[in-house]
Amino acid sequence: MLHYFTDPVLRAPTLGAMFMCAAAGLVGVIFFLRKQSLLGEALSHAAYPGVILGVILAALLGFSDLQEASLTSFILWGAFVTALAGLFSIYFLENRLKIHSDAALCLILALFYGVGVLLASHVQFTLTNFYRQVQVYLYGQAATMTDIYILIYALLLLVIGAIIWFFYKEFQLITFDRNYAQTIGIPTQFLDGILFILIVSAIVIGIRSVGVVLMSAMLVAPAAAARQFTHHFSKMLLLAMGIGAISGFLGNYFSIELGVSLPTGPMIVLSAAAICFLAILFAPQRGILWRMVRTARFRSRCQQENILKAIWRLGQGAGASLEHLKRLIGTNSVELAFNLWRLRVNGWLTHRGAHYELTPDGINRAAKIVRLHRLWEVYLVDYLGMGAEKVHRSAEEMEHILTPELERELTLLLKDPKQDPHAQPIPPAPFPTAEV
Amino acid sequence: MEYALKIEQLNVNYGRTPVLWDISLAVPRGKLVGILGPNGAGKSTLIKAALGLVKPLSGSVAFFGKPLKACSGCVAYVPQRETVDWDFPITVRELVLMGRYGKLGLFHRPRAADRAAADHYLDKVKMLAFADRQISQLSGGQQQRVFIARALMQEADIYFMDEPFTGVDLATERVIMDLLRQLNAEGKTVFVVHHDLNTVESYFNWVILLNMRLVAAGEKDLHYTGEALQATFGKSISLLDEAVKLAQKKESGRM
Repeated sequence: MLHYFTDPVLRAPTLGAMFMCAAAGLVGVIFFLRKQSLLGEALSHAAYPGVILGVILAALLGFSDLQEASLTSFILWGAFVTALAGLFSIYFLENRLKIHSDAALCLILALFYGVGVLLASHVQFTLTNFYRQVQVYLYGQAATMTDIYILIYALLLLVIGAIIWFFYKEFQLITFDRNYAQTIGIPTQFLDGILFILIVSAIVIGIRSVGVVLMSAMLVAPAAAARQFTHHFSKMLLLAMGIGAISGFLGNYFSIELGVSLPTGPMIVLSAAAICFLAILFAPQRGILWRMVRTARFRSRCQQENILKAIWRLGQGAGASLEHLKRLIGTNSVELAFNLWRLRVNGWLTHRGAHYELTPDGINRAAKIVRLHRLWEVYLVDYLGMGAEKVHRSAEEMEHILTPELERELTLLLKDPKQDPHAQPIPPAPFPTAEV
Repeated sequence: MEYALKIEQLNVNYGRTPVLWDISLAVPRGKLVGILGPNGAGKSTLIKAALGLVKPLSGSVAFFGKPLKACSGCVAYVPQRETVDWDFPITVRELVLMGRYGKLGLFHRPRAADRAAADHYLDKVKMLAFADRQISQLSGGQQQRVFIARALMQEADIYFMDEPFTGVDLATERVIMDLLRQLNAEGKTVFVVHHDLNTVESYFNWVILLNMRLVAAGEKDLHYTGEALQATFGKSISLLDEAVKLAQKKESGRM
């Protein structure tokens, strides 16, 4: 695997793509948090006509298609200029013509890309030698990059990293709360300008390796994946940078190791997308799997509390048989058996055979649940004016959710009521109510 | 007499729709001012225009006789809670530290003293225990308190708060009100966009009654009258509103 970094043919695409994707990941975080991810997509497409105009201009000035370095600089400048033109057009549409942001972005994306395609077909027939160059920028061609690109991309990463480091606290503030930033004298427009130059630079320089069509994925995917793992702006930036770099490497790795020769650009994007997808599924706390586990746990807790409540309602010391509970709870017996087992293990229930009784702790807990249920009913009826017959359903849910703080507040607000709207007694508060 | 805030002939339009018409008022130092009016009366716009967030069509705003630029640092702003994304990846303390970013200037990081100040003001709004929490985990009232702590970090002379009591719990309302009274006692001037007419009597000592135009501005005891309320919230105003909207549509060729 190390030879990807040393081999004279492999090292430029590998290192180049890693630096480029790291830089894109950094800029991407800010635009992701600004909820402007689509901007990257529009701008990368807006860069395409510039690529071709650069090629045409170079051809007109008499450069040959073999002078790679000069041709590249023409292309980069062309792309930079039309991407900026795209940015200003979007700004004009949004602010002057009052067109909604999504519509403005789509319009500019399609318009500029359409012009690009038109110009490309012109190049295909009149400047046939140059057409190959034009194609490279459409889907990217990391494999043909030379060592100079390691330098270019390292410089890009360095500049973007340094600028974000310098303006870290300002970028954080204008992304979170722009109006406030303005009132404390932060130069928001100047900083916006810098951010736009950063994103345009990252896109324009990046399209050589992944192409205009896929470039925006490199801005969004690392940021979206990083967001799953952290709640800190600084860590999110570092993580996105790392995820970008890893995607850059994996793209190169898979494009070669999978046997058939696959294009590198799409492989980089697919790697980033795969990482993002895995993060969304499995990241701790925010991942979908984690949420499913939490939902299941909550569901189980609800049923356990319902069991306690059901036995409590039957009266002091009465207890209930398994058959009886099945009828009361109405669920599949595996789930019921599991929850009964949990209740016994945790000391809320005891049983003799199939006959279940509450422990003293279980009685307290059941009374607390019933208390929350009935307090909530009183609140709905007295304060929200709901009919007494309609409140049971909501209370069935809220009894499992209300926190001790909310219970205190309810008690205070309702002046510790003794009866619910159905004239049922409310079990007493577990804390002295005089002080609340 | 030097006024904390003096507004002269302020007109604000959104596009072609007038939002504020010819507002002139002067508020002396050390008042606790309630800004009252129905929805769409331009209460928030008045604050935003004073803070330079909205560009007025005409008119001038002065703080202690100076324009905002010459008095940056003497004004602190608490925006409406809903204007920001509370899922943003920062902690409560980091959010409060933002109150010092203006004073720190470009390139400078918050220092230990700033962090100590953040904790001090978090304690004042009874949120110190939440300093290391993610802001996404806060309730509405807690979010509001953190926002106020951020403004306190600026240690300004004038505070503008946009609906700080909307959607907050009783405890928060009490904490905020205690703070406002404390600021008032220290001689600060506080402007509060307010909705709940029941509490105006006990909360403020000055009022600004607004409904696109200025209905009344002055000592609460003199100007918070049934007549003024009628003029501010009464139905007569909706006719004006309708007419303005109609005129705007006609002018722009949409009708």
